[in-house]
Amino acid sequence: MGKEIRKKNGIALIYRALTYLVFGIITFLTIYPLLWLVISSLKTTQAFQMDRLGFPNPLFFKNYPMAWKIGHFDVLFSNSVFYTIITTIVVLILSFAASFGFAKIPSRATGFLHGSFVIGILLTLQSIMVPLFLMTNAVGLYNTRLGILIPYIGIGLPMGIYLGTEYIKSIPDALIESARIEGAGFIRIFFSIIAPMTKPVAMTLAIISFTGIWNEFMLINILASKEAIKSLPVGILKFSGALATDYGKQFAALSIGMAPMLAFYALFHKQITQGVSAGAVKG
Amino acid sequence: MSMMTSKREQRRAYWLLVLPAVLIYYAVLAFPTIFSIILSLTNFNGGKVFGSQMDFVGLKHYVRMFQDQYFWIALKNNFLIILISVFGQIPIGFALAYILFRRIIRYEGFFQTMTYLPNTISTIVIGVMFQSFFSPYGAFTQLGKMIDPTFENTLMLNPDMAMIPVLMVILWMYTGYYMIIFLANMQKIDQSVIEACRIDGANEFQTLRYLILPALSGVIVTTAILAISGSLKSFDLIFAMTAGNPARRTSVLSLYMFDNAFRGAPDYPLANAISTFMVVLSFLLIIVVRAVEKRFGGRE
Repeated sequence: MGKEIRKKNGIALIYRALTYLVFGIITFLTIYPLLWLVISSLKTTQAFQMDRLGFPNPLFFKNYPMAWKIGHFDVLFSNSVFYTIITTIVVLILSFAASFGFAKIPSRATGFLHGSFVIGILLTLQSIMVPLFLMTNAVGLYNTRLGILIPYIGIGLPMGIYLGTEYIKSIPDALIESARIEGAGFIRIFFSIIAPMTKPVAMTLAIISFTGIWNEFMLINILASKEAIKSLPVGILKFSGALATDYGKQFAALSIGMAPMLAFYALFHKQITQGVSAGAVKG
Repeated sequence: MSMMTSKREQRRAYWLLVLPAVLIYYAVLAFPTIFSIILSLTNFNGGKVFGSQMDFVGLKHYVRMFQDQYFWIALKNNFLIILISVFGQIPIGFALAYILFRRIIRYEGFFQTMTYLPNTISTIVIGVMFQSFFSPYGAFTQLGKMIDPTFENTLMLNPDMAMIPVLMVILWMYTGYYMIIFLANMQKIDQSVIEACRIDGANEFQTLRYLILPALSGVIVTTAILAISGSLKSFDLIFAMTAGNPARRTSVLSLYMFDNAFRGAPDYPLANAISTFMVVLSFLLIIVVRAVEKRFGGRE
């Protein structure tokens, strides 16, 4: 019996060592390309061509200011912040307002309207690229900030309404009824009672919208050709085309582009992973 | 307050709350989707969108699409991405989630954070980074030479192999995503049931086989659906990493559509036919997955 247990423990130990090894390898594989990128960004292009793996000696920091300037990162950053924050705020307000209507005010239109939003979660963005491009041109919104914001808000709404309606449904009707009896209108109820209660789902939705818009590329790539209104992902691509062989600057530009999301992830990794699993409960 | 005004106020409030979202959504998503289907059946190719003459030409552009060899290359690559998701990301993500869930190792928070990390970085950054990493002038060449000094890195140049680095990066990026989904759903399973199972003498494998897997069959279907729609959505990574090259062998449907609409002379009808095909395909595949679930799964 004693021998049996010891043998079992031995096997368990091997298993545990193996799982550590697996996760060790995965962690290494995750980190290594990113580390390689940062290391390479501290080399001159010549030094990189001599040795593409080793540590730089001496460290060369000048790639960063040069990439920052060539890439117009000041413009790209403020644009990305602008698109991301405005979209997130508007999506939160509009989708929770509509969710409140769908969840708590009986109407015959709800079935159809809410259903059409849910289908929207499954739609691929590719299916609207060409029409959206033609439409923004037709109404004169091509190459404008508004012409980028409106589609961004539109693509954020389905998930917002899906999550919002589910959540607001679970708020007791009695709360709304008692406010109604005291004479409060629905709009006031929304802002004073419902909106404050949606905090947890608002956090989830804000994270989904924030990461989605910050990294969005496909739409802004076709809707903006003016440098002044481009966002980070579109701007960074410049370092892959014309500047592709200037590796030092390319790696510096990529590192700059990567940094904000890594910082955001470091701060909010719990909420981000929660948001991901909440957003995936569908299909 | 009389009953009538209350009803009217209620209706007014409803539309006040709902209409802004509905208008924007219908303008930028619902209408363009339908518009795209209509355009795919006409010969409209630029000019004034609203009010210009459009002739219906039936399924002509779909015929053109099916006769184009690049369409088939792109479609094949989309299926390769679905395969790497379904047989790579999902099982690996499941295994990793299970290890973390059963607390076989410590520092699970750290490992979870690390595995999910690539998901948070801009796909464009990752695409450009791996383009340089795998290029003949990049790190991969030197890593190869460390093992075999005669190593020649043609991964990104050889049309027959160029999808391999793309698939590797896709596996690298999204496995953590599926792990997070599985882990979140495993954590919903009642711990006491698992304890009871173990006390009754079930080993780790039996617990997995008869308790965890059945409890997660619905989630596995969901991840399969996510993998399919995710595959059809893949655009940014390949756009930045290979732009579909060499010889358009790493193209996918979305890139094939983009090329026809926005590179060189625009061919909007063909592009719209492609995007309509993509929507239909994704709904068809989802129906197939659901049917498979009904047939073989459904132990929930």
